[in-house]
Amino acid sequence: MTDSFLSVRDLVVHFPTTDGIVKATEGLSYDLDRGKTLGIVGESGSGKSVSSSAILGLHRGTNAQVSGQILLDGDDLLQLNDEQMRRCRGRDVAMIFQDPLSAMHPYYTVGNQIGEAYLVHNKVSKKAARARTIEMLDRVGIPQPDRRVDDYPHQFSGGMRQRAMIAMSLMNDPGLLIADEPTTALDVTVQAQILDLLQDLQREFNSAIIIITHDLGVVAEMADDVLVMYAGRAVEYGPTKEILVHPEMPYTWGLLSSVPDVTGDTDAKLIPIRGNPPSLLNPPAGCAFNPRCDHRDKVPGDLCTTVVPELTPARTGGNHTKRCHLANPDEVYATEILPEIAPDLVQGQA
Amino acid sequence: MASYRKKALALVAAASMATALAACGSGGGSSNSGTKAGATGGTLTYYIKAALEHTDPQRTYVGRDITDWSRTVYRQLVTFPVSDDPTTATTPVPDLATNTGTSSDSAKTWQFTIRPGVTWQDGKAITCADFKYGASRPFATDVVTGGPNYILTYLDIPIDSKTGLPIYTGPYKSSAAGTAAFNKAITCAGNTITYHFKKSWPDFPLAIAALHMMDPYRQDKDQGDKSNYQIFSNGPYELQGTWDKETGGTFVRNPNYKASSDTTGSRKALPNKIIFNIGKTSETIADQLIADSGPDKAAVTGQSIPPSYYSQITGSVASRAASVVSPYTDYAVINFKRITNVKVREAIAASTNDTGWVTAGGGAKSFKEAHDIVNPAVKGYQPDLYPAGAGDPAKSKQLLQEAGVKTPYPLTFTYPSSDTMDKQAAALKQGWEAGGFKVTLEGVADQDTYYTNIQAPAQKDDVIWAGWGADWPSAITVTAPLFDSRPNLTPSSNGQDYGGYKSSAFNALVDQAQGSSDLDAQTKYLQQADQVLAKDVAYVPLDTQIFYMLRGSDVTGYKTDAASNSYPDLGVIGVK
Amino acid sequence: MLAYIVRRLFAGGILLVAMSMITFILFFAIPSDPAQFACGKNCSLAQRAQVRKGLGYDKPVAVQWENFAVGVFKGRDYPDDKSLAKSAPQLIAHCAAPCLGYSRVNLQTVTQEFKQRIPVSASLALAAFLMWIIGGIGLGALAAVWKGTIIDRGVVGISLVFYAFPTFFVGLFLLKYLAIKWQVFPVPSYISIADGGLWNWFVNLILPALTLALFYMAGYVRMTRAFVLESMSEDYLRTAKAKGLAPRKILYKHTMRAALTPLVTMAGLDLAGLLGGAVITESVFNYNGLGKLVVDSVITFDLPTVVGLVLLLGAFVIVANIIVDILYALIDPRVRVG
Repeated sequence: MTDSFLSVRDLVVHFPTTDGIVKATEGLSYDLDRGKTLGIVGESGSGKSVSSSAILGLHRGTNAQVSGQILLDGDDLLQLNDEQMRRCRGRDVAMIFQDPLSAMHPYYTVGNQIGEAYLVHNKVSKKAARARTIEMLDRVGIPQPDRRVDDYPHQFSGGMRQRAMIAMSLMNDPGLLIADEPTTALDVTVQAQILDLLQDLQREFNSAIIIITHDLGVVAEMADDVLVMYAGRAVEYGPTKEILVHPEMPYTWGLLSSVPDVTGDTDAKLIPIRGNPPSLLNPPAGCAFNPRCDHRDKVPGDLCTTVVPELTPARTGGNHTKRCHLANPDEVYATEILPEIAPDLVQGQA
Repeated sequence: MASYRKKALALVAAASMATALAACGSGGGSSNSGTKAGATGGTLTYYIKAALEHTDPQRTYVGRDITDWSRTVYRQLVTFPVSDDPTTATTPVPDLATNTGTSSDSAKTWQFTIRPGVTWQDGKAITCADFKYGASRPFATDVVTGGPNYILTYLDIPIDSKTGLPIYTGPYKSSAAGTAAFNKAITCAGNTITYHFKKSWPDFPLAIAALHMMDPYRQDKDQGDKSNYQIFSNGPYELQGTWDKETGGTFVRNPNYKASSDTTGSRKALPNKIIFNIGKTSETIADQLIADSGPDKAAVTGQSIPPSYYSQITGSVASRAASVVSPYTDYAVINFKRITNVKVREAIAASTNDTGWVTAGGGAKSFKEAHDIVNPAVKGYQPDLYPAGAGDPAKSKQLLQEAGVKTPYPLTFTYPSSDTMDKQAAALKQGWEAGGFKVTLEGVADQDTYYTNIQAPAQKDDVIWAGWGADWPSAITVTAPLFDSRPNLTPSSNGQDYGGYKSSAFNALVDQAQGSSDLDAQTKYLQQADQVLAKDVAYVPLDTQIFYMLRGSDVTGYKTDAASNSYPDLGVIGVK
Repeated sequence: MLAYIVRRLFAGGILLVAMSMITFILFFAIPSDPAQFACGKNCSLAQRAQVRKGLGYDKPVAVQWENFAVGVFKGRDYPDDKSLAKSAPQLIAHCAAPCLGYSRVNLQTVTQEFKQRIPVSASLALAAFLMWIIGGIGLGALAAVWKGTIIDRGVVGISLVFYAFPTFFVGLFLLKYLAIKWQVFPVPSYISIADGGLWNWFVNLILPALTLALFYMAGYVRMTRAFVLESMSEDYLRTAKAKGLAPRKILYKHTMRAALTPLVTMAGLDLAGLLGGAVITESVFNYNGLGKLVVDSVITFDLPTVVGLVLLLGAFVIVANIIVDILYALIDPRVRVG
């Protein structure tokens, strides 16, 4: 496991506030290899963006407390000083943000901003940077890149802006690309193009990608592995196929239940998860999901409200871990959840 | 002076001017601390805060400017000499004339002979024609404006019934009849000029010594309004270059002035150069004179020290400060349309807390309690006319009882509002209320229109604050213009008779004074007239303002006197 | 863009015409009588009428405005009195077109007066402008970067002190200590570059400009601090950081650029206002600029100067607005057409 390109170990991110400590990420661990994609899913405030920003060291200079290890190619990023970390940003690790309009400076041309990413890490002329920019714009599918390079962000469409952001992130051929909800702000038709583009580029550059999303559809299409986060913790982690077929954590079930299936049965119910995401300041005792869990009564005693479940191997095996006190989550899923969300699937099997 | 008065009031009210320095303790109208008679030479700087409206002699009407020009550039037929004795300082001496004038026909005709050898700055002799031309200019009432215009009412020229003004309309354009009338009214015979008046003018020499309205003027230099800031000298100095309205001007010696032609002894002309520096604030002037460095060592000013600087006037700085009684008096008039019962007016006078008024205004450094509307340095002053002091509430209450009015008697008092004036008004209110009145104070924030407002015949306040300075040192320029109902009261305006006072007894005494061919007789009538005012309680005198001025340490012979309207007398001031 | 500017200038011209009319109406609507002022005290009604005639104020307001408007194109004579022009031509002052008027108080045309005054006010305004822009933006950015520290509190606190103190006192204070007591600077008086050279012009400008700058600086410190803090939380700064840019580059290139844009409007209009004169500072330091002229002309009922000033200051503001709009388009690409 430690041989992985990226290895996150026991990552903790806390924000001290006047009301107490906001525990945004607690004991998060995962691995990712080059050429592979990890999907991190969860609701807003589950810690998925915070933990990924920690890899880039974006919490430096704030009052955030970050501990654990983030090993990239064997080096612990948390041990780097600010200058070393700065050099790492954009060169070894790059990030694509959710809303490309607000993520780009309104007063500078697209080309200026993309070229800047190249200039900061390479001793080249502005002319060379511009050539590289045009090349990358071309590569991400911007038509007439030699002219559009001098456009301002507001002159681009949403999809083109995100392509430009991708071009910016790939300028230095980084080993790790973090895409934070890269398609959320885009039209549905454009979403697919962007995802295709990311996959193409991954194949070409052989980079590792972390894709942060709340959309399991995106995960299903893109990710090799998936990490489900809830209240700052990983609650289920494993190969995408495993998790989508045999989810063993009621929160994951909730996520699956709330995905509309356009191709599937119209009888399928859309079941939102009840309740609200927990406060990270005062998370519920025991399993953080327990106040919203429909299966708490299946667990003997008050285990769910007192003890934080460990991350344990799933009953179906296959390098799949989950955090749940249920003794037989696979059976509960097969008998109670699946018939509700995919009745045709169950009937077909029967 | 009067027109300056009006503006000075606003400034006084706003900036709450000066106060008298006890250390100097003069109060007698003169200050003489820089005693050593100075040597000739050096440069004197004279700091003035605001731009002069005019430097044209016929249009000059500000006390400070009148005396500054008298000593430096504009000689007169007769002038007031430098003297610590107020009587001497307000008695004319011959200047451009050979004597102080001879009158005849009950002082309706005055004759002067021009001194031989007196010249303009270009060397040309000053002629009778120049005097006549100078006297003609105020008749151009649409051009030569802003100056004293007594000549219009005195000179024997018929009145045009259409305009209400003399038929002669000045040297620039006039009907032939007008010009003929003027030529008859003022005649030249060689070097002798004769003025013919409609009515007696016994104090004519006082008037022409105190003002520049009858100064000579060279016709070839006259461009009317365009000459407003021209200074064409016949005195010991002449203007170098031009007068800049915003910054002032520099005076150097006039090579064509012959000291031998000047017997006044009041133009020592000690500095080689006098710089009039205009535009600094009173605060900056005080700061610079306190610091006393560089050219400021040889500087004087007509600006009083702002009260906030009093605490800095100690030690050697105090020895460079002069505190003098100014020619300006503040008083309260009573509205005769509203308070018709003389007992009530007497009660107001009785309960007036003059001491409180002066104390609230900054004390002895700023004001002196007044006993008469006539200034102490003016002929006709009566020191016992009013008691001043803190007031007598018991007497006031008794007077109100005698009047048979309901007490507390409601009373309103209007004045131009400022921090200081508000405090002073409060002191008056306290005194009046102790005397049985219920007082409402009406401070007027807009000081520019204060006088316009109190001139309105419909003026509704009971007691009205006002201020005055005599045009020349005779009570005829105080009580007559302020309380004679005939020229003042018209349907549209109360003029300067703000209280609408009307008394045939007073008017008759004024007529007798104006008809007097003798100055002493005139003064006697005026004193009687003032007593009528006091009996009727037409006004209550409040204060005489104090000038409190700094000078630099190199200034010699520093003097302020009645002749210089209490401003630094440039006739004798020199620099080390 | 050109059409836009022409359109704006045209609208501005119409506005100025309206302003001149309103000024004439207001001037004669106030209760004070300019003729009485010019005539002085001891002035009978008959004399006052003559003075009013001499000043030309006896004519209906509409006629006076018309004379003014015609004068702008044809020139005028002061006083406009044919018989006087015949008998005493030396009394007539001619004001050649384009004539904004001739001031009987200042004894020269309003245009000549402006020519003397504008360099004074402009020197003062520009020097103060430079000081407060550099100081205000620099300190504001410093306070934002060190938000919450003693530096932040010190900068904001001190600038507030200068803001709260009346300009009059700050000016007198500087004058008293720096010029009179310690003589670090000369007691300022305006010296044009032509008269005294660049150095004298500059040295004499320091204190008055500083007085003005300290007042304006407070606002700019606060605004800059707020704008910088606001732009620091923008997503694009996170992008810049994620690119690996150095903090200094992020501050100068990305943060400040966004933060300063709204200041351009403020700065442009403030400068335009100041070009029109700084009344108190000019009075304290005895600088004969437009601000003092405003006060003096109102006090002395100098109608031609008042009207001229209204037009001049109005034109400053109108032009400044247009320039600010153009600048804005240059700075913010989103505003540009197309």
